[in-house]
Amino acid sequence: MNAGNRRSRHAARTGLALVLPLAALAACGGGGGTDTAAESGSGTGTISVWAHQGQKSEDTALQNAVKSFNSSQDKVKVELKLIPGNDYTKTITATDASKLPDVMEFDGPTMANFVYNKKLAPIDGYVSSKTMANATDASKAQGEINGKHYGLGMYDSGLGIYGNKKLLDAAGVKYPTGLSDDWTADEFTAALKTLKAKDSDGKPLDLQETGGYNNEWGTYGFAPIVWSAGGSLLKDGKAEGALDTPAVVSAMKTFQSWKTYVDPNTDGNAFAKGRVALSWVGHWMYPTYSEALGDDLVVLPLPDFGNGPKTGQGSWAWGIGADTKNAKAAGTFLDSLLDDTNITAMTTANGAVPATRTALAASPLYKQGGPLQLYSDQLAKPCGDTDITKSCVAVTRPVTAGYPTVTAKFSEALNSIYGGADPKSTLEKAARGIDQDFSDNAGYKIP
Amino acid sequence: MSGPAVAGLIAFVGIPFCYAVVLSFYNVRLGSPLEPTFFGVEQYRRLFTDPDLSGPFLRALLNNLTFAVVVVPLQTGLALGLAILLNRKLKAIGLFRSLFFMPVVFPMALVAVIWRLILARSDQGMLNSALDAVSFGHWGAFDWLGDGLTAMASIIVLSVWQGVGFQMVILLAGLQQIPGELYEAAELDRASRWQQFRHVTLPGIRGTLVFVAMLTSVLSFRVFDQVYVLVKGGGLDEDATRTVMYQAVTTAFDQNNIGQASAITVVFFLIVVALTLIQRRVVRPGNED
Amino acid sequence: MSTTTSTGMPRRQPLRRFLDYAVLSVLAFVFALPVIYLFLGSLKPSDEVLDGLSGFLPTHLSFDNYSAVLDALNSDSTGYFWRFMGISLLLAFVVVTGGLFVNSMAAYGLSRLKWRGREAVFTLVLLLMLVPFESVAVPLFYMFNDQRNTLPILALPFIANAFSIYQFHTFFRTIPPSIEEAARIDGAGPWRTFFAIIVPMSKPAFASVAILTFLTQWGSFLWPVLMVSDPSVRPLPLEMSVFQGQLPPDWGQILAFGVLLVLPVLVVFAFFQRWFVQGVASSAVKG
Repeated sequence: MNAGNRRSRHAARTGLALVLPLAALAACGGGGGTDTAAESGSGTGTISVWAHQGQKSEDTALQNAVKSFNSSQDKVKVELKLIPGNDYTKTITATDASKLPDVMEFDGPTMANFVYNKKLAPIDGYVSSKTMANATDASKAQGEINGKHYGLGMYDSGLGIYGNKKLLDAAGVKYPTGLSDDWTADEFTAALKTLKAKDSDGKPLDLQETGGYNNEWGTYGFAPIVWSAGGSLLKDGKAEGALDTPAVVSAMKTFQSWKTYVDPNTDGNAFAKGRVALSWVGHWMYPTYSEALGDDLVVLPLPDFGNGPKTGQGSWAWGIGADTKNAKAAGTFLDSLLDDTNITAMTTANGAVPATRTALAASPLYKQGGPLQLYSDQLAKPCGDTDITKSCVAVTRPVTAGYPTVTAKFSEALNSIYGGADPKSTLEKAARGIDQDFSDNAGYKIP
Repeated sequence: MSGPAVAGLIAFVGIPFCYAVVLSFYNVRLGSPLEPTFFGVEQYRRLFTDPDLSGPFLRALLNNLTFAVVVVPLQTGLALGLAILLNRKLKAIGLFRSLFFMPVVFPMALVAVIWRLILARSDQGMLNSALDAVSFGHWGAFDWLGDGLTAMASIIVLSVWQGVGFQMVILLAGLQQIPGELYEAAELDRASRWQQFRHVTLPGIRGTLVFVAMLTSVLSFRVFDQVYVLVKGGGLDEDATRTVMYQAVTTAFDQNNIGQASAITVVFFLIVVALTLIQRRVVRPGNED
Repeated sequence: MSTTTSTGMPRRQPLRRFLDYAVLSVLAFVFALPVIYLFLGSLKPSDEVLDGLSGFLPTHLSFDNYSAVLDALNSDSTGYFWRFMGISLLLAFVVVTGGLFVNSMAAYGLSRLKWRGREAVFTLVLLLMLVPFESVAVPLFYMFNDQRNTLPILALPFIANAFSIYQFHTFFRTIPPSIEEAARIDGAGPWRTFFAIIVPMSKPAFASVAILTFLTQWGSFLWPVLMVSDPSVRPLPLEMSVFQGQLPPDWGQILAFGVLLVLPVLVVFAFFQRWFVQGVASSAVKG
């Protein structure tokens, strides 16, 4: 133990401390820079699959799909791992492509980032042409970058306000029947006021605040306010002048003013138990709500802030890991996952809009006069992510590799505004933060 | 003989720390296809002069400081009070000691969840409901975690609840080392209880008290778990409770901005070291061991 | 010790005694409320947990929440409850035993053996004690990114611990040198002296370090948050936060999960309480 030569040891240690970090910086600094390529492989064997952990009912539907796939044939065995939804995107980002699974789910708007980071391989050629042909146009459009497809979804999303007909009528509140007679933000606020007077705790609205808004729900659920006020999250690669316009600021002020009407809904049962008359949430609550309310359930569009009613679009999709050694088997699994049986089971579990032509056509929920007709009406008027006009409804979140920053900054701002921060300075700050990050990353250009 | 541990410390503390210094001078992103580029002191410039970044960062520093300034005296004082109360020969005193110590073994992730329910902002929340009952219905629901003024206080309360037992046990041990004869002598001198406390108890546990205060202040700069859990799932006001560590972790993990997060880490470290050194300066002279 | 207590208040009157109990009981009750709430809530149906003060009424008690937690976490895709717990236990075991070994050895070398550079190394240890783990979490996260979702990286950074070394160091310094001299005369080298003589004498220090390390390790959260996404290597506290984040939240089940999370530590605490108090006291008071 007696250190014979302390000086040289000391020097070595200092040297090590200095050199190691630099070596490591050089080695792993490039991140996804290493070349990865999917190999088609034998088409048999075990493949790993990652999916986001969502509603319990969705998880069960997915687990069942995997189970029946595994028992239906013995060539490919699927090992499914569920990863918490709120951490899902960071998890993929933080994981080196070589450690990613063969098949993975991803949230639609993050796809461009994963293509940019070389986490995803194109699925063309691995997924059968039948599956590709049966996908809805929206699903295919969401999955396409530079002419290649990187993912297909099981479902598209629907966002609206669920209403409790009994409570609304009892309070004498007038509510829209569809997109054409949508309520304005002022009418919506007035409705809240009327409902408040009749509500036992004075809190007639649910905005799903339980997990906070500093997450994808914040962006998905409330970016429509920005769009409906004539703004956007990103315009020509810049947020300044798009996200912080006076119209958006004033719309956000209105949003902020609703907090006094909001039931915190810590138990998640506010709407199902009739504690609130209105619940602003996506398709995934439909099964629970319809079971609880039956015929008293109505689905209403989000309020119009001047630029027409808007809603979110796009949802979770499935792709193939950039470094898979068994893309063929991955394709086989995707073909099975995206068949009508599985899609119908999944969309029955979560109330989402099926993303294949046949399943959509067969669904009783979305047809004319069906309970969720509003969702298909909304999706039938797509805006894309740039051309947000007054007449279109379903807006795609910005298609850019910098989306994680956009959503992080926007949802953080939204969360602070809801908590009482000044909308103007908060939005301006978010916009500057987004632009700064884009310039630090050379505009997130996909090579 | 000291080899393995020292090697471990160098590998997992020393080198990473030097690495953080290096990284803080680069524009480096996790998982980005772009090569890291040398950034000079840009990260530091942003932290201190760019209002968008320095705002939250300085706020985080202030939050940390508030937390430390309140928690160190509060928790040490409370621990001392409990220790004195419990330093008696009463029946079942062991049971009481265990009770006060029990929260210490609770993982912070769990403590945060329990208090999230107690402080829930609806009128169903435990605290709101209790206040409503004692005020005969005059208490409206209050958003303890979401209000900028009470958010930090909530974090402080739950942290003290969880931590105070630890300091109490240490102080209790210190108290028990004071020879009983000293009190008997003081008794003979007709010293009042306050005088006994002032001239026998305090000098007797001075060293322990200093140790406890230092331990608490070092710990109080590391607050992370409870803030993370409550911001992510409990409607906690982020601005009012964001700590420096929270800021560093979210910058690295949520925004993949390793360079920026490293710069925060380095500043944080310098502050902790500076504070510790000042503290040692202040308490050393009377406490030669 | 006579009838005088150590705080030196002789001839305790019954009234005083009653007051003491009253004050202590009230304080203890307030202190225990969150714990009572946790245990009671874990036995109640979810919609009765968050229901104002009636959350404290012991109504409709059952172990349903517990079986629901165990049922929900019982597949490859979600992970297994017992596996989460096993991983936490394993990590705690490795960090505690590994830490006792290397840190006590290091402290012995630094306090009892004479070698060149000893003071320098000890200063380094004291300096590293100031570096909170939190401040190296970010670079570690970046350096070991390719080790994500592996077990060793969850334990390794915590084995060597400057604070443990310091605790052992302060304890070893109190051992009279004559004991070692006797061993040396018997021809024992430093290793044998350490393991045969010093270690058995230092049980309180070992107990104290072991329990402190166990507590911190069991609740370890930040590092797993950064390094683990795979449910097959996820420790229990991280799963607690995952479980709580699942929508819709089922508070009864979440509290049942919480009880299961804290029970092992409570058991350890119940058994080793005496050691803990002695150990913490010995290292702190003399330090």
